[in-house]
Amino acid sequence: MAPGQDDIAELITRVALRDRRAFALLYERTAPKLHGFCLRILRDRTRAEDALQDVYVKVWRGAATFAPGRASAMTWLIAIARHHAIDVMRARVVVEDELDTAGEVADAGPDPEHLAIAAGERRRIDACLDELKPERAEALKAAYVEGYSYEELARRFAVPLNTMRTWLRRGLMSLRECLERR
Amino acid sequence: MNEESAKRGDDRDLLAAEYVLGVLDQAARQEVRRRIAADPDFAGIVADWEARLAAFGDAYQSVSPPGHLKAAIDARLFGQKAPAAGRFWQTIGFWRPLAIVTSLLFVLSTAIGLWNGVFLPPPAGNLIVSLQAEGSPVSFVALYQPGTDAVRLSPVSGEAEAGKDFELWLIEGDNPAVSLGVLPKTGSARIALPPRLARRLVAGTTLAISLEPAGGSPTGVATGPIVAIGQARPI
Repeated sequence: MAPGQDDIAELITRVALRDRRAFALLYERTAPKLHGFCLRILRDRTRAEDALQDVYVKVWRGAATFAPGRASAMTWLIAIARHHAIDVMRARVVVEDELDTAGEVADAGPDPEHLAIAAGERRRIDACLDELKPERAEALKAAYVEGYSYEELARRFAVPLNTMRTWLRRGLMSLRECLERR
Repeated sequence: MNEESAKRGDDRDLLAAEYVLGVLDQAARQEVRRRIAADPDFAGIVADWEARLAAFGDAYQSVSPPGHLKAAIDARLFGQKAPAAGRFWQTIGFWRPLAIVTSLLFVLSTAIGLWNGVFLPPPAGNLIVSLQAEGSPVSFVALYQPGTDAVRLSPVSGEAEAGKDFELWLIEGDNPAVSLGVLPKTGSARIALPPRLARRLVAGTTLAISLEPAGGSPTGVATGPIVAIGQARPI
């Protein structure tokens, strides 16, 4: 577990106690990371900002449901942000091919150390991705990071929908098997 | 495990993985969320996948949100004007509705007191709260029978260090935590609930235990770390 995770877990339980100062601190420490997720998936500044507001409303309301022991605090927060951003994107009627605005506004500096995923975890998943066929590993990464649906992935990788489904399903199962082995 | 149930288990695992990856369409995502809410086992499988794939999150860069965003969130949650002018509890806008609500509550509670037993439906099912927290050895189970005037607490593990006490808190909605009192050093406890608090202990209400100086928090708000927390749910 990365250093600082305990502090974030502590802040979330304080938020569950309706401690507004803890909420402000939690926001200060985690909003840039979660904002980065919303921007990357939604590719639109205003939509990402609206989504981030919704995310912290959900964090305030759902703080007491933070499942202790099961997920790390940061994983819990990231899941709320990612799934909300994906929901907002899916709700859009047309899938546009906008310019990637996320890159323009990204901070130059690296993540604060306490929010970075432990390097060991990253190495483990990279090693497991290396065991997959390259296009399948790419599709898995694109699905998680960009929030693309099966349909969008099939279009972007120019393969039939069923092929993409097979790639990702097999990829996920191999990934799990590999992560358990390592 | 026979072949068929193994197959079902795999399907469940795959669905959880696809949900976490984010590739399902919106109808399927909503269906998965219904399952997460209804099936704790399935929710656990989803949480495991969130943890497994979290390392992909390194690809995202942090981007500071604009300064006004936090004030907008506060305005949505706490009805505070953005940007904040003074502390919210110093404003008449805070006290006036509070005064009205308090008087209404007084009238209501008197009315309920008068009519209690005549019109109130029989109490709903009992509530259980499993209290625990990340990295804390302390866990308790609380039981409450709606309509009664006390909540019963049983320690599962952990005890307060010497010179400290556990204090129990009730959190409902967006309201600040209210102390329900200090827990005895050992064994089960029966914590009396005044009627105004008993009515607030419903499914979804949060109970929490904090570690406080001997005798309980000197300030009326939790000062120590939260050692266990959980939401009430019907048994």
